Parts: sequence; structure tokens; C-alpha cells
Amino acid sequence: MWKLSSGVFMGWSLGANDSANIFGTAVATGVVKYGVAIALTAVFVMLGANLEGPKCMATVGGVSRLTQMAAFWCTLATAITIALLTYLAIPASTSQGIIGAVIGAGIISGTADFSKLYKIVVCWLFTPVAGYVFSLFLYRLLGHLMKTAKIGIARKNLFLATGLLISGCYGAYTLGGNNVANVTGVYVSSGMLSARLAALIGGLSIAAGVLTYSRKVMMTVGKGIVPLDPFSAFITMLSEALTLHVFTQLGVPVSSSQAIVGAVVGVGYAGDSRTVSKKMLVKVGLGWLATPLLAGILTYLLLKLTVVFL
Amino acid sequence: MLFSKYFSRGKKEEKVLEKIRSHIELLCKACELFSTALQSEDTGSMRAIIDLEREADGVKRKIISGIYEGAFLPYLRPDLCRFVETVDDIFDMLEDTAFNAMSIYLPHSIREESFRVAFLNSRMCEMLLITFDAMVEGEDLRERVLAIRIYEKKIDDMKFGILCDLRELAIDSYWYGKALSDFVTGLTSISDIIEDACDHLQIIHLSMR
Repeated sequence: MWKLSSGVFMGWSLGANDSANIFGTAVATGVVKYGVAIALTAVFVMLGANLEGPKCMATVGGVSRLTQMAAFWCTLATAITIALLTYLAIPASTSQGIIGAVIGAGIISGTADFSKLYKIVVCWLFTPVAGYVFSLFLYRLLGHLMKTAKIGIARKNLFLATGLLISGCYGAYTLGGNNVANVTGVYVSSGMLSARLAALIGGLSIAAGVLTYSRKVMMTVGKGIVPLDPFSAFITMLSEALTLHVFTQLGVPVSSSQAIVGAVVGVGYAGDSRTVSKKMLVKVGLGWLATPLLAGILTYLLLKLTVVFL
Repeated sequence: MLFSKYFSRGKKEEKVLEKIRSHIELLCKACELFSTALQSEDTGSMRAIIDLEREADGVKRKIISGIYEGAFLPYLRPDLCRFVETVDDIFDMLEDTAFNAMSIYLPHSIREESFRVAFLNSRMCEMLLITFDAMVEGEDLRERVLAIRIYEKKIDDMKFGILCDLRELAIDSYWYGKALSDFVTGLTSISDIIEDACDHLQIIHLSMR
């Protein structure tokens, strides 16, 4: 069971990091209190992980056949890669990291199935695009409806406060459903855990990260997005959640950070303003390439060393 | 309760909006009183404006505490407070002008123009109330805002005429001259602050989309 420790650790850091994408804006702007936000995130992450989590597990495990030891090294290498890129302030995706790591392990064992990578890479490419399209469409549609419906300011306020809360819960649900496979998916393919049990353990570890160590990142990310008005923040959160939900149905784990970046760009375009700088886009692109490559190389090296020394 | 904000159906917000409305209504009353008191040279009515300002101060405090007790999204609170503070600035300016009006006699050359400015100020306040109501109902503000800008422009033009007439006057006492100058400055500045308040309303309207 000790081999699960790296997966649990990765789930914990994913929860601590990615919960900022869910309620960051709402907490930093004071719409939702931090305590309420993390409680709701934990509950809905667990719900999403258990109800929808198994859908993406087959994809993570299907890229190559893994032994239990390889599964341990894959999650550890991904966790190290994420930590390193976070330290360098480059946005990193656990979904890309774990797939890179599994491919690295597959190259060693000779079981890497590159044909399955095609669907995954296409989904990764479309993650920010989907975030962008959803936010552009929702911004224009809901914006038009709100303008023509002549809703009073008190009702608009209530609508936005409730919308931010509901879209946050939905975001947490889809984060659990989509990203739990990154945490414990490799243990399913290595035969250590059943999909249900993997979803439960993964969901719990993500929820633990949300509950114990998410404040700092949540405030940083939230304050970075504060220039968004409540309506734009609502559209951004909803678009991110919809993007994750769509890719969960396709069975591919994707990056919530990339989905939210796409959504912010979409809102900026619809509102006729620049919300993301070129520097930020370069950083996202760098993370996009570096995460799977680094995780793959690290897993390859760690497994080689294991073969040499054990 | 944890989700009281969501289940109260915006009652806190409605209460704050009602208070802001009564704050502006008080302003309309004060401006109208000033206009009639100036024409009738009624010092009793001028003193009543000082009482109205004190009453408005109390309403302002209730509005600010209502906002910071959780009404409205935090994003909107600073703009709402700024609007209320600006309305309060109008009261302050009106109070000072009323005080100066009590200590001077209006020279014949600027009398009629001063009455007209006071009357237009009172009309601008009414238009501010109409604009506020439109914002609360989520209606388009453009025409109302334009009307306020036209009033302000009219008063600005009159201000230069009054200043030209003032310069022709022979002033015997320094304190009389100062009070008269302060009175004219106050009377013609009220419209500027009303325009600022209107701009804040537009910002609130736009930020709620």
C-alpha cells in the first residue's frame, strides 16, 4: 500500500493548487468566504470523483501497461515535475504530467501505445479553445439576455452571487470528475485498485489538499483575476467547468488551468479588452510542452535507476 | 446562517436601495427649499436646510453600514459608497451655500441669475432621483445622464455671466465680499457634484452590465 503514497501526495498537491481555479475569484473578491469555499470544493470534488472519475481512468492507464512499481514512480515523477514547474512559476498540468510519465514508463517496458496519444493530445489542444468558445458564447448570450430582460440591480446582484456559487460547485464537481484519474488512474491499470476505490482515494486526497493547504494559492490566483467584474468571473468559472465536463465525457483528463486561461481570453475578447498578456500565453505554452516532457524523462530515469539498483 | 445571502432574495440590497432613495429625496427637498428660501429671503427655511443636512448624515451612515453588513457583491460596494459620499458632498455644499446666503443680501445684478441657478439645481436633483430609479430597475440611463449634463452645461454658462456681473460690483466690506464670493462659488458648484454623482450611477450600472 505504500506505493499509493505518491498518488495521495499528488492528489493533495492537486487539491491545494487547482482549487484556486474554482473559487479563487469568488474568495478574493469576498463573494464567498474561504471556509465556505473550501468546504463546498471538498464536497463537490468528492462527488465528482466518485460519480464521474472512473470515466477518465481507462485513458490514463491505457497509454501503456504499468507494473505497481512503475505506477508509483509515475505519480512521484509527476508530483516532482509539478512542484519544480510551480517553483519556476510556469503553469503546469497534472493531466499532461501523468500522461508524459506513463509514456516514459511505457518506453522502458516497451508497452507505450502512441496511437492513443493522438486523441489525448487533440483534447489538450482543444482545452483552452473550448474554454474560449464557451466563454465567448455564454458572455454574448447571457449578456444580451441580461441587457434585454431589464432586471433590477438587486436581482442582478442576487443572480451573480448565486451564479458564482453554483458555477464554483459545478467547477469543483468537474475538477474531481476529470482530474481524479491523474491521481489514482495509474493504480487501476496496474491492478492495485478497482476504479471505484481509486476514485474514492483520489477524491479524498484532493479534498484533503483543498481543506488543508489551498488558502495561499487561492488568494494569489484570485487576486490576479480580480480585475474581472462579477459577470465575467461567473462566465469564466462556468466555461471552465463546462470544458472539464465535456472532456470528462470523452474520457480524457485535461488541465483546469488551461481551460480557465482560454475562458479568460474569451471573456476579454467578448468584452473588447485584453485580459491576458502575451507573456502569460508564452508561459502557458512553455508549461504545455515542458510538463509531459519533463515528467516522461524523469519517470524514464527513475525506472532505469530502479532497474539498475534493485 | 451560512447561505443567508442567497436565501434572503436580496432583502438586504432592497433595504439599502430604499435608504439611498430616501437620501436623494431629502436632497431634492433641501434643494427645492433652498430655491424658494432664496427667492423669499426666508432665513427660517435656510436654517431648515442645515437640519436636513444633519438628517441626511444619519441616513448616509445607515446606508454605509448596511452595505458593509453584506448587502451587494463586494465588487460593487466601493462604487455604491462613493455615490452615497458624493450625494453627501452635495448636502455639505448646499449647507455652506445656505449659511452664506443667510449672511448676505443678493445684489440686484445677480439676483435673477442666482434664482435660476438654484431652480436648475433643484431640477438636477430630481433628474438624479429619476436616474437612480432607472438604474435600480435596470433601464437604460443614457438619456437621463444626457439631461443632467445639459443642465450642468447651462449652469456653467450662467456662472460666467454671474462672475462678470460680480466683478462690476463695489464691495465695501471684506467679509461681505468673501461671503458673496463663497455663495456664488457654492451655488454654481452644486451642479458639478450632482454630475459627479450621476457619473457614479453610470459606473454602477455598467459594472452590473
